[in-house]
Amino acid sequence: MGVQPWEREILAREDMQLTADPLEAATDDHIYFSKEASSGGRGFGGGGCGCN
Amino acid sequence: MGSPCEVLTDGGDKQLADRVSSLVASEAWRIEDKFSRYLDGNVIHRINTAHGEPVAVDAETGNLLDFAATLFDISGGRFDITSGVLRAVWRFDGGDNIPAQADIDNILDRVGWQRVTWAGSQLTLQSGMEVDLGGIGKEYAVDRCTDLARSAANVPAMINFGGDLAVTSPPVTRDAWRVGIEGPNVDAAERLVDLRQGALATSGDARRFLIRDGVRYSHILDPRSGWPVPDAPASITVAADTCTQAGMMSTLAMLRGADAEDFLAAQELLYWCRR
Amino acid sequence: MAAGVTDMTATTKGKERSVFATLAAATCALLGTTAAAPVDAQEEPKWDFNTSLLYYGEDENRVQDVSLKSIIRRLFTDDRTLSLGLTVDTLTGATPSGAIRQDVPQSFTRPSGISSYDVPAGELPLDDTFKDTRVAITAGWQQPAGEKGLLGVGFSASKEYDYLHTGVNASYAHDFNNRNTTVSAGFAFASDSIEPVGGAPIPLTSMLDVGDISNRVGDQDKDVLDVVLGVSQVISKNLLVQANYSFSQSDGYLNNPYKVLSLVDGVTGDTLTRTPGIEGGPSGVFLFESRPDERTQHSLYTQAKYYMNGKVLDASYRYMTDDWEIDSHTLDVRYRWPMGDSSYIEPHVRYYTQTEAEFYRLSLDDSAPLPQFASSDYRLGNFDAITAGLKYGWKTRNDNDMSIRVEWYTQSGTVPAGQLIGNQASRDNYPDLNALIVQFSYRFSR
Repeated sequence: MGVQPWEREILAREDMQLTADPLEAATDDHIYFSKEASSGGRGFGGGGCGCN
Repeated sequence: MGSPCEVLTDGGDKQLADRVSSLVASEAWRIEDKFSRYLDGNVIHRINTAHGEPVAVDAETGNLLDFAATLFDISGGRFDITSGVLRAVWRFDGGDNIPAQADIDNILDRVGWQRVTWAGSQLTLQSGMEVDLGGIGKEYAVDRCTDLARSAANVPAMINFGGDLAVTSPPVTRDAWRVGIEGPNVDAAERLVDLRQGALATSGDARRFLIRDGVRYSHILDPRSGWPVPDAPASITVAADTCTQAGMMSTLAMLRGADAEDFLAAQELLYWCRR
Repeated sequence: MAAGVTDMTATTKGKERSVFATLAAATCALLGTTAAAPVDAQEEPKWDFNTSLLYYGEDENRVQDVSLKSIIRRLFTDDRTLSLGLTVDTLTGATPSGAIRQDVPQSFTRPSGISSYDVPAGELPLDDTFKDTRVAITAGWQQPAGEKGLLGVGFSASKEYDYLHTGVNASYAHDFNNRNTTVSAGFAFASDSIEPVGGAPIPLTSMLDVGDISNRVGDQDKDVLDVVLGVSQVISKNLLVQANYSFSQSDGYLNNPYKVLSLVDGVTGDTLTRTPGIEGGPSGVFLFESRPDERTQHSLYTQAKYYMNGKVLDASYRYMTDDWEIDSHTLDVRYRWPMGDSSYIEPHVRYYTQTEAEFYRLSLDDSAPLPQFASSDYRLGNFDAITAGLKYGWKTRNDNDMSIRVEWYTQSGTVPAGQLIGNQASRDNYPDLNALIVQFSYRFSR
């Protein structure tokens, strides 16, 4: 399953990357880590804090 | 072609790489043999030794001559395949041997596409004139070889003749072909370009120039004056759909000298211009 | 060196433009092929700067955060990347202390033990002690490993007045199947130390009067191990999916040292009262919370990115379960809609729901034996949360990226059936949360 190399034009787009905006993702991860009991999933972030 | 030529295939096996390489090598040699001005007996030799007589040419040569004629027009006479004879007085070996004006004037009598008759598949040069397809040939060869490689096999390939290159498709093992553009230090890539499709070509004097009294003379000559184009950039690289377009745009820009950047900025191209 | 792309504004340029058009046509005639595929070339940047300013504000005088975050990447040849990140957060505002509302005014000793604060009748007790600045740094190095692998290592550290974090991480990703499949594995190990203001209180002991820190012990530690295994797969030209399994093991001091539970009468549900000391103190009996000293979490995360006609849909789902008996589901959907050539709008909706921890208690019943573990931290409770927002992004004249997003985050929880005692049933007990998120980002490459 998959595509040939010359069919990857759309997949190479910045907005088609799994984490298109790393800063926004890191921000959200931190907000929800502070306010909810679940964390991560996508990968792991930059570390803990005393906010939970 | 006057430079190292390579074929890179991405993915596929050695057998496939060898097959594509031989196809490319055959085509490159065919073009080289047909259009080299160093070989006797080919169409260029017949044209250059015709002493004023018309020479009938085949379709491929005719296409190249039509192309050269168009370039002559759109460049305002700066791109001229009859200007090769100027090499008799200009030797770009890094030294300081600038020819005398009288010598240049002598040669200029034998330069100028406007003096050529090109019609009905027949080319007539005035006696003493010569044509040299060196300014078009390499890029043309890259494009012909790339088309060949693309139709011969499904493996992504990059055809690179001494820095004038084109790709058949994006590669397998990474998102794009990665090409370095030379900086002032000829061995270190200054910028990297991700090429997924299309071609790159470079005009420049990295290896051929003269220096006298601190002034650098690029090997790009203006056929209208017989002198190197003043204020020509040291190097211009252009990315375009085909190597021929990329090469011609970089050459035409180089021929503009001081206005090279303005010329390039007006086109819809990605370019790098270094002075 | 001058480098450039297109600029077609001046009229002389129209004339120059025709040179290229004529050349293109002439080349077609020369090569005798149908139009070649359009060129796709991009210069690789050496540097990538990504910075944002965030405002996070909860209503009703609760937490407000202004945060500056920056990630700088240096891109070397051969796909090697060095990245450095810095985040500075300034936090102000109050946070629920864990005690429940009463119909009478209440007073509490601050965590430092130095002073006390009052809460009017009927209000949710909020502790506004925390005005804090947190600084976090990350560093990472990534490089290819062989033809199809990518190796990454990094470390992280953060400091706030009562918390220190240090951590290392590493990951490896491998491409298969013509780069259509990527398998990855990573781990992160964190070693944190907690230095609560006034010292960590002994769990389930009472909040004492001002000046009395006899039930405090010293600094505490916590270790966290995270492991992530993932696979991503290209389904078609327009569709990419990913699935990750994560495991997280926390050991050590997992309590929140500042949170308490109200000890209430078994019939009325009202907090047992006491007389505060001369210099101030609690007006009721409040016990410091107690959580287990270990926690194991498992998550399954899946994401899809789908492109249709210029628009990109990003949808993900995560399921989490742990040995505190918390289960959660997260559904997150973004839809990026291009506007013209150089900007886009992206609505975003996130739905989150979790069940309460096994030891979650709204309050502690005086007439029953004390449980071993108990916490009334709303973050361990049973609640639903919704985020709804809009992001607008655009490319500046210099081809850099800017964006701004505004989101509303709201949590509403319920106290588990059977935990409401007496008069509590008539009050609004769960500290629901409403927050505004505004973030402005700027990204450029050189």
